[in-house]
Amino acid sequence: MTLLDIDGLKTYYGSDDGWVRATDDASLSIERGETVGLVGESGSGKTTLAKSIIRLLPDNAEIVDGSIEFDGTEITELSDRELRRQIRWSEISMIPQNAMNGFDPVYTVGDQIVEVIRHHEDDTSKAEARERGRELFDDLGIDPDRIDDYPHQFSGGMAQRAMIALALALSPSLVLADEPTTALDVVIQDRILETIKEMQEELNSAMIMITHDMSVVSETCDRIAVVYGGRIVELADAETIITNPRHPYTLGLRNAFPDISDDDQELISIPGTPPELVDPGEGCRFAPRCPFAEEECWEVTPQPESYGDGHQVECHRADEIEHLQAEAGKKETWREQDLGERKPVETADEQAAEAEVELDD
Amino acid sequence: MGLRAYVVRRCLQLVVTFWAFFTLLFVLFRMMPGDPTSMFIMDGMTPEQREQRIAELGLNEPLHVQYIEYVRQLLTGDFGQSFIYNDPVTSIIAVRFMNTIVLMATALIFAYIIGITFGALMGWWRDSRFERGGIVVTLVARSSPEFWVGIVLLSVFVFWLGWFPSSGMRTTGGELGGGFVARYGSLDFLRHLFLPALTGAIAYLATPTLLMRSTMLDVLNADFIEIKKAEGLPERTVLYKHAARNSILPIVTVAAIATGTAMGGSVVIETVFNWPGMGREMVSAVNNNDYPLAMAAFFLMGSVVIIMNFVADLAYVYLDPRVEYE
Repeated sequence: MTLLDIDGLKTYYGSDDGWVRATDDASLSIERGETVGLVGESGSGKTTLAKSIIRLLPDNAEIVDGSIEFDGTEITELSDRELRRQIRWSEISMIPQNAMNGFDPVYTVGDQIVEVIRHHEDDTSKAEARERGRELFDDLGIDPDRIDDYPHQFSGGMAQRAMIALALALSPSLVLADEPTTALDVVIQDRILETIKEMQEELNSAMIMITHDMSVVSETCDRIAVVYGGRIVELADAETIITNPRHPYTLGLRNAFPDISDDDQELISIPGTPPELVDPGEGCRFAPRCPFAEEECWEVTPQPESYGDGHQVECHRADEIEHLQAEAGKKETWREQDLGERKPVETADEQAAEAEVELDD
Repeated sequence: MGLRAYVVRRCLQLVVTFWAFFTLLFVLFRMMPGDPTSMFIMDGMTPEQREQRIAELGLNEPLHVQYIEYVRQLLTGDFGQSFIYNDPVTSIIAVRFMNTIVLMATALIFAYIIGITFGALMGWWRDSRFERGGIVVTLVARSSPEFWVGIVLLSVFVFWLGWFPSSGMRTTGGELGGGFVARYGSLDFLRHLFLPALTGAIAYLATPTLLMRSTMLDVLNADFIEIKKAEGLPERTVLYKHAARNSILPIVTVAAIATGTAMGGSVVIETVFNWPGMGREMVSAVNNNDYPLAMAAFFLMGSVVIIMNFVADLAYVYLDPRVEYE
């Protein structure tokens, strides 16, 4: 059953140079209890996409188009008050990257859990709310008596567990986890991910896991959406993304992460920088960094093509998958010095002039 | 280290600070050029009379004897006789000090309540017309000299509108006496208090407003503010219970120091409004080389600074759980 259905979502930021298209025409649907990973570089728009769902955006950001349907409710049409009452935390909660900073430092963790429970449930007494907090602590492997401690008295891993307790206090149907383990060391990372999974299964909550870490998503997610330049460039189940991706960017991402079982693997990074999202124009956003870009890629924005089993790819050359996968594994394919030469000179005059300027540098 | 040990240690520090403070005060005054008799040198004063006068005042004793006598008097709360008034310093100062406290406390309370509220809102509504306008108003208030503000208020409210009396603390011939409430709670007194207190409030307003605004901007960037919004808490709760509550911490320290210096009185405000407070008294005592009076005034002022800092430290323990007792 579909819990969340995002369709053609465009979230733009106003800036002096015009709209920054942080999320541009993204579509994604999530089932109940499912975990979906949003993977991409910093600045790819994955966080904006997730925060658009609870409209937790800065003042200069705006959802300019598209729909977000959550359990039959159109979120983009709710008033602020309805959003706070019906959606935020009771239905969709979040776990921030650094839990220590996610708590208000001047109140105890318990007070903050009680505050949110009582705000949403008028007839829950303070004692009942506190008791629920203690139970959650117990479930998450923290001594319940520590509920009266202040956030700074917790270790990083424990603060993250306490944050999970806070996120689950109202049994939400969807949890947005924004790099929930990046700030932790690897051993604790693993345990936290396990805990999140257990709790999530118990409550049958869906989750969106935002991360740039391929190994985290491959461990925890049912499906993975690869985000580049504000667009979802590839979407498939986790297994497919890891073993059989079709988008050159996903291939590149996979190269950049070590595989412990493969001693000889050489790490290859993707040259270049993420695209400018102010007025990006037509064409594939990854083309300037893509070793396989052809003339068509510069001129026509690729649309999602289906490759069976919910596997969607936005790439003109996704059909030549064997060739791409073979080439992508070679280091020379991703040479940085080739970047400037890739842009075909015979495109629009303006672009040609631009290319010359780049060469002059 | 526990809270109790922290308080005890902080109290010991307080005692040491006080000792250093009054000793420094003693040394400073003995180093000042001139002596009280220079004010009395009249045509008929012979050197013998002058010597006699100095002996009466105890100024011919060796310094260490003077120092011991000075400490003994301080400990018994006796600040000696004023050289000029020939009255006990304590009685002269007590009244002046109370006048200043009433005036300055009123000014400070208004300045901090208004400043904290507006500063918090200015930070909350960042980049709004309210914030930009607020900064301009605050800076104008900050840059206007007290005497100028005082004179403008006098011209408008006294000479033009005639709503308030021009100077002093109470109408001449008015009934004096009774208890504290009768002295400082009467309508007549409040009417006299309004303009000088307003002048003070305008002068003190800028610091809490700007400080509150800038700490709010920092705090609003913190992750927990976003989490509190995501929790669906109403804006009012996020603003007051979380953002402003965290931003108020640095204000506590600044408020303590501001209170300390304000209790010394403002010479300018007291002069413009002819307010019989500490500031004017202190200046005239220094001009007259009236050691006991000037010293008592400085002592009182410094004591307030030291005590307010002590109070701020203890308040911090309560306000910020992260403060380590070390």
